[in-house]
Amino acid sequence: MSRFGCNGSACHGKAEGQKGFKLSIFGNDPDEDYRAITLQSRGRRISIGAPDASLFLQKAVAAVPHAGGPRMRADSPEYRVLREWIAGGAPFKIADKGEVTGVRIEPERKVLGFAQRQPLRVIASYSDGGEKDVTWLSVFFSNNAGIADVDENGTVATGNSVGQAAVMARFHGQMGIFHATIPRPGAPVAGSGEKAFNAIDDLVDQNLRRMNLRASGIADDAEFLRRVFLDVIGRLPTSGEAREFLQDTHEGKRARLVDRLLEMPEYVDFWAMKWADLLRVDRQALGQRGAFAYFSWVRDSVAANKPLDQFAKELLTAEGPLSEQPAGYFYKVVKKSGEMAASTSQVFLGIRITCAECHQHPYDRWTQRDYHGMRAFFEQVKTKKLGDDEALVAEGSPQVRHPRTKELLNAHPLGTAMPETASEGDRRQALATWLVAPENPWFARNLANRFWAHFFGRGIVEPVDDIRASNPPSNPELLAALTRQLVDYRFNPKSLIRFITASRTYQTSSHPNETNENDEQNFSRAVFRRLPAEVLMDSVSDATGVPEKFAGTPVGFRAVQLWDSQQQHYFLKLFGRPARVTACECERSTGASVGQALHLMNSPAIQAKLAHEGGNIARLATRTTDDAALADELYLSFFSRLPTDAEKSNAVRHLAAHRETRRQAVEDLAWSMLNSLEFVFNH
Amino acid sequence: MNRHHESFCDGVARRDFLRIGAAAALGMNFPLARVLANEAAAARAGTLDAARNDTSLIFLFLRGGLSTIDTFDMKPDAPENIRGPFKPRGTNVPGIQICEHMPKIAGVMDKFSLIRSFAHSNAGHGPADHYMLTGYHPNAAFNAGLLPNNQHPSIGSVIANKLGPRGSIPPYMCLPTMHPSASSAYLGPQSVPFVIEADPNSPAFEVPDLQPPLNVDARRLEDRRGLLAKVDRFQRSIEQRANSGVAQLGVFSERATALMTSGDAKKAFDLHAEPEKIRAEYGRTTLGQSCLMARRLVEAGVRCVTVEHQNWDTHSANFSTLKDDLLPKLDMAMSALFRDLSDRGMLKKTLVVVTGEFGRTPTINKDAGRDHWSRCFTVAIGGGGLQGGRVIGKSDQIASDPAENPYGPEDMFATIYQSLGINPHDEMRTPEGRPVMLTNSGRIIKELI
Repeated sequence: MSRFGCNGSACHGKAEGQKGFKLSIFGNDPDEDYRAITLQSRGRRISIGAPDASLFLQKAVAAVPHAGGPRMRADSPEYRVLREWIAGGAPFKIADKGEVTGVRIEPERKVLGFAQRQPLRVIASYSDGGEKDVTWLSVFFSNNAGIADVDENGTVATGNSVGQAAVMARFHGQMGIFHATIPRPGAPVAGSGEKAFNAIDDLVDQNLRRMNLRASGIADDAEFLRRVFLDVIGRLPTSGEAREFLQDTHEGKRARLVDRLLEMPEYVDFWAMKWADLLRVDRQALGQRGAFAYFSWVRDSVAANKPLDQFAKELLTAEGPLSEQPAGYFYKVVKKSGEMAASTSQVFLGIRITCAECHQHPYDRWTQRDYHGMRAFFEQVKTKKLGDDEALVAEGSPQVRHPRTKELLNAHPLGTAMPETASEGDRRQALATWLVAPENPWFARNLANRFWAHFFGRGIVEPVDDIRASNPPSNPELLAALTRQLVDYRFNPKSLIRFITASRTYQTSSHPNETNENDEQNFSRAVFRRLPAEVLMDSVSDATGVPEKFAGTPVGFRAVQLWDSQQQHYFLKLFGRPARVTACECERSTGASVGQALHLMNSPAIQAKLAHEGGNIARLATRTTDDAALADELYLSFFSRLPTDAEKSNAVRHLAAHRETRRQAVEDLAWSMLNSLEFVFNH
Repeated sequence: MNRHHESFCDGVARRDFLRIGAAAALGMNFPLARVLANEAAAARAGTLDAARNDTSLIFLFLRGGLSTIDTFDMKPDAPENIRGPFKPRGTNVPGIQICEHMPKIAGVMDKFSLIRSFAHSNAGHGPADHYMLTGYHPNAAFNAGLLPNNQHPSIGSVIANKLGPRGSIPPYMCLPTMHPSASSAYLGPQSVPFVIEADPNSPAFEVPDLQPPLNVDARRLEDRRGLLAKVDRFQRSIEQRANSGVAQLGVFSERATALMTSGDAKKAFDLHAEPEKIRAEYGRTTLGQSCLMARRLVEAGVRCVTVEHQNWDTHSANFSTLKDDLLPKLDMAMSALFRDLSDRGMLKKTLVVVTGEFGRTPTINKDAGRDHWSRCFTVAIGGGGLQGGRVIGKSDQIASDPAENPYGPEDMFATIYQSLGINPHDEMRTPEGRPVMLTNSGRIIKELI
């Protein structure tokens, strides 16, 4: 019935059913479904004596009016199975069949060409040792329909794009996966042509060979400089910093620059902002004092380069007065035990379990037992008034009831067996220990993937917080190596950043070659990423030399430093600053709009920065009389590079043509730079 | 806004210059020809009847959920804990009664119809909003907290995609903010709404950033554009083609330039040019002035305007909130909109839909409020050549479920698309080439035709 969509959320599977016939969503509750089909409606739905007259079958083939139309044909094998089942007395269980213990797909993986079709076979194994082809009873789903789509019969069809896709088949609550790889057609290209800088590059190159792609060349110093500043500390280099780096002729200057960036105060601001997004430092939910205390804990943790396992553990196990344990504000933003379990899973494991609150996750292995087993860890968490402070306590029973079966559940982490008895004490301690253990299959992997995504604009698993069997990594060996490395680094975030930025893969140019123009999945070139709202705001302020003034903050306070996501600011809103209402990284928008384009072109606020008496433009126009030197300075400030000869002579010509209005001429040059794609994107 | 009518010290009227500016801009990244070609292609694709393409849509979304049992589908014979304190009154259509607190709307009842058997399956704000603005129930991966959160394109995006712009004004606009489900999903940046992030009721209302700063005169703007074309090395580069995000911004820059140079847009946006009398008729409220703005935009060629109005989620003090605040605003705005469109001869070519994401519970709760109820509510729909003054379908005695002819979002969308000359059985394609039906098997609501 799943296969025919009968129990989907738009039909009989929705909470109130459809026209009095209610099935559990995705066949989550076989007992209840059995009752609904065989007993409800005074047993009218099936007629054992005259199977074809069963309303159940008549509706399915639309022999009687059915709002859902015909779902199957009367001469189909599916119909025959249902008919035989009814004729055989409609038993709950067919005696000689065992339980389904697993599902696999044949073939398991295959390299396919463009516009190719590949039928899949789904094989179920049973507890009695038997196997059966259940292709015709399975539901299929592709994680990347643009690369390889799948139809209801399990036939995969590729498009005209290079890439990888995973196709899932679901049968009886079990899943199998088929991996499709669609390499670029044509003569094989030989890897990248550039040597590996570290272990990352070997694994990336291995995958590129598989996909028949050649990596772009290595970025020049200016390209690297701008990218690494924006990625590591979230701001542009000053013209002085840019000049110094470009003039440096010493070996190893890129690694030295990263070392220096990691020690700058802006590093702390930038990464604190990132974590504050995920952990939802939200004044609306926490109040001014709470939000600031919570943010300060995040910021201090980044400043101390706290190992990520310790960071997670402190957050999860916070207890006592909030004034002393501000990490505990996490439990004030997410208030219900279920929400705590879901947010913790999403942020620290990259696993979304919310679906399993009410039914088996349709694209993953998680059941309601898993969800509520996780929820039990947080069932004891409560807040108590403590004068004008509040205290976080863990008390009472950690057990929860399965909402459907009413079974009493003991806390148990995802993918582990449930203990027979409830243990004593704050269960969160046990969860935290499990979470950060090096053997935990998800914790380090999720962090490695998130850090990777930060530097490449895309996770090895994408979206970063949706790790599941049916959404596999684009390069499993790479993710595994990165994960191992993070554990070896004892979860030191700066070490991981050094490792990533030292790779040739990170230092690859954004200029595409003839093989990788259409590839955004395999890290064969640097992809363009629009600057986050705060970074773009600060970049405008820095390049023009006129700081933005934010309400309630001292002069010189940067957008990246704003801890209060409720701060009203037109620019930041327009460019997609997140309101921190979810634990999803996707909440930050880097999409474009007409409003953004208009704002950059016409906003009086930006014009004021360009024209400001004390700003960079005014200073350059009056003090730098050499037009070529002035062009150098502008290009360094806005684009972190020196102009080409053509660009320089263009600028010089422009300035020469507007001698009488030199100040305006410089403003206009700066305006055109600020409105350039080169300025708005990290590339 | 007065400054838009001024001439500038360099002697060139701003509007004239802006035209020149557009021509200059053609050299950079604004292939007007391409926009026109897109428009023509859009007009070919998916239009049943080109002659009907003139029809526009104003979608008035009462966010939170209008209590239709207290307004458009009253149940005076139901028990007191259901019918509430409001009394029905007659309208200018014999036999149709609506709430006593909407006397002006009662006077234009002949211009629109009421679907009283409207129902859908989700009583949560986020998913229900998405359902009512796109015609598609979102799937399990839906995250209502995102902006935008569209899994499927909003109706305005579909219209923009299928019919393209009429002239230089954007085909799809939202005011005074963009609802999170009002965006384009897989239809991409070409079909997102242009959002006027400003309150039309504010005395200083203007569309932000539409004009260059005052000290940037015409010649200077032309200079700037010329410089930009030379300075921006990634325009029309292989990098722009290879990066979806860059291509996207390119589209928007073109749009922004087109908008700045559009005389139609400028005129439409100048709400202050509207006579005081008309402004007063719509009501000096955000809702009223947004509706007036919507009419001006449609007049100027916008194909779909979504007006969002909030605070209809009356879990407590439902009756006092409706009577003292929300209904007086709605009464003025909605009645003025229908009357004004009709007076100008625009109603035949302008479809107006008024609805929340759902209705509210028949039973009044302990806080004198009503909670979410999607199983039965009323949608008001009129103009665009549809029949007015009708009641379609019927709810049961307590407006708990449809009693006859139930209709849902799919049916409403099929009917709207059909009225706009878009084939409701048409397919859209995701960027990956996956076909998606325009409506999820919706039926045309025949009683409206």
